[in-house]
Amino acid sequence: MISGTASVDELAAGAPEIAAFGTESVRLGGVTGLSLVAELRRPAREAVLPPGLHPIVPPAMSLLAWDVSESPWGAFSAAFVRVVCRSGARARTFCVGAAASTHDAVAGLRSQFGFPAHQAEISLRRHYDEVDLRVSAEDDDGRSHVGGEGGSAGRNGRGNGLMLALSALDPDPLSVGDLQHVGSMNLAHTPLGLRLVQVETHHEPSRVERLAARIDAFDAGAWGQPLLDPYWAVSCSVSLEDVEIPAIRFVCDPALPAAEGTERVQ
Amino acid sequence: MKFGIFYELSVPRPFSRANERLTYHNALEQCRVADELGFDHVWAVEHHFLEEYSHCPAPEVFLTAVAAQTQRIRVGHGAVVCVPEMNNPIRVAERAAALDIISNGRLELGTARSSTWTELGGFCADPDDTKKTWDEFCRVIPQMWTDDDFGWEGARFEMPARNVIPKPFQEPHPPMWVTVTTPGTELDAAERGLGCLGVSAAPFAEQERRTTEYYRRVANCDPVGSFVNDQVHTLNFLYCHEDYRQAAALGLPMVGAFSMSNAHLYFTREAYPTRAYQTLGNAGAALRSRGTPNGSAPVDDPSVAKGLPEGVGIGDPDHLVRTIRKWEDVGVTGINFLLNAMEMIPQEQVLDSLRLFATEVIPQFQTPDERAARVQAPTSVPDVSATGAPAPSTMPAGASR
Repeated sequence: MISGTASVDELAAGAPEIAAFGTESVRLGGVTGLSLVAELRRPAREAVLPPGLHPIVPPAMSLLAWDVSESPWGAFSAAFVRVVCRSGARARTFCVGAAASTHDAVAGLRSQFGFPAHQAEISLRRHYDEVDLRVSAEDDDGRSHVGGEGGSAGRNGRGNGLMLALSALDPDPLSVGDLQHVGSMNLAHTPLGLRLVQVETHHEPSRVERLAARIDAFDAGAWGQPLLDPYWAVSCSVSLEDVEIPAIRFVCDPALPAAEGTERVQ
Repeated sequence: MKFGIFYELSVPRPFSRANERLTYHNALEQCRVADELGFDHVWAVEHHFLEEYSHCPAPEVFLTAVAAQTQRIRVGHGAVVCVPEMNNPIRVAERAAALDIISNGRLELGTARSSTWTELGGFCADPDDTKKTWDEFCRVIPQMWTDDDFGWEGARFEMPARNVIPKPFQEPHPPMWVTVTTPGTELDAAERGLGCLGVSAAPFAEQERRTTEYYRRVANCDPVGSFVNDQVHTLNFLYCHEDYRQAAALGLPMVGAFSMSNAHLYFTREAYPTRAYQTLGNAGAALRSRGTPNGSAPVDDPSVAKGLPEGVGIGDPDHLVRTIRKWEDVGVTGINFLLNAMEMIPQEQVLDSLRLFATEVIPQFQTPDERAARVQAPTSVPDVSATGAPAPSTMPAGASR
């Protein structure tokens, strides 16, 4: 069994703060969701995860994007870059970077659920047979700090503020039960200390389609992890759904295996 | 009740060529001992790229060595991945027939379709198609074995008429199986008259439900081969010691490590949304058995290790006899055991466990005739090593048909 080798101290530098664990779930209505899985090159396997999480073979990235119509934070869009991993025996992802389109959504995602979100311009557009996603830093210097230090790697997006661009073609309908969602482990400063916060979303899709995706630009550094190189797109799906983000129930010490370092919050 | 040993050939980290060689040769020695002790089957899987979990991409090579070094035990080629990007069905039929000849008619052929993205993605195979290609492989392979002029125009495989040679030694052909990971595959097995080769842990009640439905359906099946193989085998772990506590102390960590390495595989459903893979595979099955409706073991609690399967074969001989009786009671006709994982248990102790199990447990499940047969050298398998004599004309002892 292999474990992450990233320095917890270095990962902690940009981690959000959860001042108090909430008890209420957050419900997102009228969500257009995009989910993409891409394989990563081997150097990213252990190096991007804290010791409390375990990589999979081959290393893979899970990109999640939402265009939300209704929420306690108003309408917003968001994108999450996550590394597929295991926490104990459980399938999870480690969120290395996140972006949201409004101040309220950034604040809510960071303070309630520990997503390392920063504000960015996000466009998730659905056409008849195509879906486009673009995420751009809003400041003018092209060095967004979404998820950490400024970009130093990636392709195409460097230097112009473009963090991510992808297009997906030829939607193929699936049953709503065919889509597998995997929860996030978000590193955050919590009342219990620096912890991996387990966020499991519940999805109620009304429509699911699978598409063939192409990643046109990905600035890994802008997402906080220069080692990420999503070179092989595996799958892409688009769904119309409602999403519930339940209150946090479990947190884990990022330096310990889940069997030893898990604490129940409520 | 039949007893087999089952190999994933899991290799400890750090990987080295010496570690891989040690794993293979320890397994071969275990096979020789199991053959002498009267075990019925040795199975070897086909997996690709599954670091640590399984370094066994060419089971036909391993099993050829087993066949050459043993006399009685049946060799289970299981399972061949029936995905054309990995195996052409003609080559599967040819290799299997050759192995049946080399083993003097001791081959069992398992079929499968792979459950991990690591494997399917590595071969650029389309997960949507694997069930369909598996079905077609199952139908054409027995015909290649029995028909001197076989041609096929199917949905995903076609060939002009040829005589696929050699033919297997067993007539009409070796028994065929399908590995059952996903719930529901046992129904696919039943409808095609294939044996049910369980490779994931299911609790007694779930196994009974599946077995009952399997037997109900296989009784009216339309077999893909020339005969119906209506056996139900399950997968288990084995570590047998006179002292239950010592058995648990050495055996349970092996179970935990193997189960954890399984949970760390990248299952197809997680990577690729498709209606063709409705569960996560082995991990999903075990996690479901652990999560309980009353919430005593929440399925989202990351500290809860993958559950210890019910009826696991770790313990003293009396415990194992009681456990196996329960499997027998739910309709299981054979159990295949994993003997080690990542070489955690020293080889001598693995062999001692095998010997104790064969001495104290196996006889409890044999008829007097079977016990007598077990201690006699098989008469139908000649020693061809020195003479180059032709193959025998009768089936070897222990054939499971």
